[in-house]
Amino acid sequence: MNRFVIADPDKCTGCYTCVAACVNVHEKVGLVAHPRLTVIHTATVTMPVQCRNCDDAPCEKVCPVTAITFKDHAVQINESLCIGCKMCSLACPFGAITPFGTLPEGAGQPVYGGLAQPMPSDADPLHPILAWTVGQRTVAVKCDMCHFRPEGPECIRVCPTEALRLIDDAAINQSAALKRARYSGMLAAVHDPSVPSG
Amino acid sequence: MTICPYCATGCGMRVSVQGGRISEVSPDPAHPVSEGKLCLKGLYGFRHVADPGRLSMPLMKRGDGFAPVSWATALDAIAAKLQSIKRESGADAFALTTSGHMTNEDNYLAQKFARLVMGTNNIHHGAPGAPGLKAAFGSGAMTNAIPELSEVSDLIFIIGSNTAECHPLIAKHVLAAKARGAKLIVADPRMTDMANKADLWLRVKPGSDIALLNAMQHLIIKDGLHKLAFIRDHATGFEAVAAAVEAYSPERASRITGIRAADIIAAGQAFAKARAAATLCATGIAHDGTLASLANLAVMTGQIGRPGAGIFALRGSANSQGASDVAAGSFRFEPPTVPPTVPIDLPEAILAGQVHALFIAGGNPVISHKDAQHFQKSLRKLDFLVVADLFLTETARHADIVLPAAGWAEKDGTVTNTERRVQRVRAIVAPPGEARADWWIFQSLAQHMGCKAMTYAGPQEIWEEVRRAAPEDYAGITYARLDQTHGLYWPCPTEDHPGTPILHIGGHFATPSGKAALTPVRFVADTQAPDDAYPFTLLTGRRVYHFLTATMTRRAPLLAQIGPEALIELNPGDANALAVRDGDFIKVGTLRGEVIAKAWVTERVPPGTVFATFHFWEANANEAEGASKSTPARVARSSITEARSALAQKHADYRPELERTTAARMHAPGQASGQVAP
Repeated sequence: MNRFVIADPDKCTGCYTCVAACVNVHEKVGLVAHPRLTVIHTATVTMPVQCRNCDDAPCEKVCPVTAITFKDHAVQINESLCIGCKMCSLACPFGAITPFGTLPEGAGQPVYGGLAQPMPSDADPLHPILAWTVGQRTVAVKCDMCHFRPEGPECIRVCPTEALRLIDDAAINQSAALKRARYSGMLAAVHDPSVPSG
Repeated sequence: MTICPYCATGCGMRVSVQGGRISEVSPDPAHPVSEGKLCLKGLYGFRHVADPGRLSMPLMKRGDGFAPVSWATALDAIAAKLQSIKRESGADAFALTTSGHMTNEDNYLAQKFARLVMGTNNIHHGAPGAPGLKAAFGSGAMTNAIPELSEVSDLIFIIGSNTAECHPLIAKHVLAAKARGAKLIVADPRMTDMANKADLWLRVKPGSDIALLNAMQHLIIKDGLHKLAFIRDHATGFEAVAAAVEAYSPERASRITGIRAADIIAAGQAFAKARAAATLCATGIAHDGTLASLANLAVMTGQIGRPGAGIFALRGSANSQGASDVAAGSFRFEPPTVPPTVPIDLPEAILAGQVHALFIAGGNPVISHKDAQHFQKSLRKLDFLVVADLFLTETARHADIVLPAAGWAEKDGTVTNTERRVQRVRAIVAPPGEARADWWIFQSLAQHMGCKAMTYAGPQEIWEEVRRAAPEDYAGITYARLDQTHGLYWPCPTEDHPGTPILHIGGHFATPSGKAALTPVRFVADTQAPDDAYPFTLLTGRRVYHFLTATMTRRAPLLAQIGPEALIELNPGDANALAVRDGDFIKVGTLRGEVIAKAWVTERVPPGTVFATFHFWEANANEAEGASKSTPARVARSSITEARSALAQKHADYRPELERTTAARMHAPGQASGQVAP
């Protein structure tokens, strides 16, 4: 069964520490230096959104080169096999897959104060995921549960307000058991013995 | 173990070093404020320390660029110039600005230099603090300790503070209080990440906070919820305040603030009835009379001087509190110097020809001053400008002499966080090249000017003098005690004193009378209200992933990746009317100037309001901001071409000097081998 990381919007302060931590650990093991979770700000909520590692994952189904596979209770993308077709991004119901490329050496290096050299690009394509910039080879990037880290997802470890947690079999069973107990309690409270059964 | 160099929360951190460079930062697991956590600036904002752009030699203006010189040459030149200015124009023609990025010891020697050697009180510490609180309570400092929020307070009222973004680890204590059952009330025009957690969010119109606070006091008095005995024994001026707030019925305040009257009533009742109500405030209100009104509210309801009840006036930088304690402290020297005067308005004093020479230590006012262009204009009128900093900042480029300063990871000393907790910071790596700690710079300059009274061996010896100079606050705080604890709260008068986490206990205030001095505060509508020509209100502030002018954070790749460019928040309704889409470039213009950046179309800002930051020199909201904290503005669609040409123009302003300087430094004889003697 799948495992995934989920955020509690009541605890998330939108501090982006998870985002920086995500880039940091992936960069260190040679994976694409791009965050695998995205902080969203809506009219009422701020929280990071990341992959749910669906058991029956649409992204895995649409990948034409089997770069996406389900193993170790999670959907994994092989960045070397990925051809950057972006079908998985379109198929994902959570918007959890971001196409991202690395710049070729020497291009777009910061000049000063983070200001990059302008590169030829199509910043206004038919669909946002079709945006391109010269020199980039795009691969699909999404949460990989930090499978290379024995201590588990780095975002959970660094979150200052403990807003992120790991959902696995045990967590789902525990949550279901709690809700069953609460539900039966509610039934007992509204049970009216004067109403005949059947 | 050291303390995070960014905001005033004062989180504890461990710094690992590899090959003489910082390799990793991890949280101090036992720190009572940060509780084993850090935000992203603390964890990943350290790469600027080993940045190749760090200043490693004193620089002297030569023609249009800078040339590297030895310390002896630089200090002799500064000494000669300052002496001649003092002789010809008087001591007050010199002004000094220190900052909350420097240690207490740095700040102490800086002010001692200004007072003893130059003989002036023109010392600015870049941290306005809480003057409204000082007038009311006799102390402008935060009254309570941060952990009381999560442990004791049962109501937290946040006004003028975006705690989640500006003090993330204090926000953690607020959330912990909420999980314990405490109620959260947030007054903010923007839907910040504190507002969206609030039990009651008061979307107050910018600039109308006083009307809200007065109405809360109005209904508290009307409902008899004020603590008469406490007021009688511990306050003066209550009758005048009661008379002043009489005119602020919740209905009238509702028309001024845009908040429903029922919500104002609910907020006032909850605040007065709480067992322990904590008020969190910061620069959103610190610049006007709002703090005096907050003090009135806290005193009349008895929400002060008890655990969990008080005014948490949050400071900006790691040592903002220490800078205002030490640099602005009225220490008595032998021989005595002139008594402290009211701080002057620096750009005005320069433009009026009163100040001829300025020493800026650790600040970048060309970007950060609330009216940046005005400040930049004033710098051009100066006779002599010295800047000590880590980098050749936008401000340093205007200097006659630039001094390379050692940074937070390169010097020992103490810093005081926002809750008055004095903590030790430690030298972990060596400074680059000839960079030196600020205290060393001021001591050496004093010696070059013939002063024999400043011969300290190091920060500890300076701290010993601070302890003697202000014994009621610091006598009990020794380096040995700090090494064994997570800091001590001043006042700490003796070495067996545990420190004072809560000020004004039992209503005993630090005013001469011992009573809180309540002052009536009236709401005055902003003279610069939005009109047809400038229909928007411009608010300025910070984002969580950058700090102030981003001199440090934009040099941290992980932070620069998250926050690569400026975003101006624009309400979706306004965006629709202007036909602006998310990510389009917009131009925000005020009477003072304009700023062009990408629009972030979001309900975080109310209609008619835009929010921009001063993190990015190429899109600096302070160039459009005026002297008022909410400035009328107009918003227009802009094009990428226009944005690029604006950027190119700004680039042209900065670039040539930078290139000349870089070239000069690369050709500096002896620099690579570090042979130039100080």
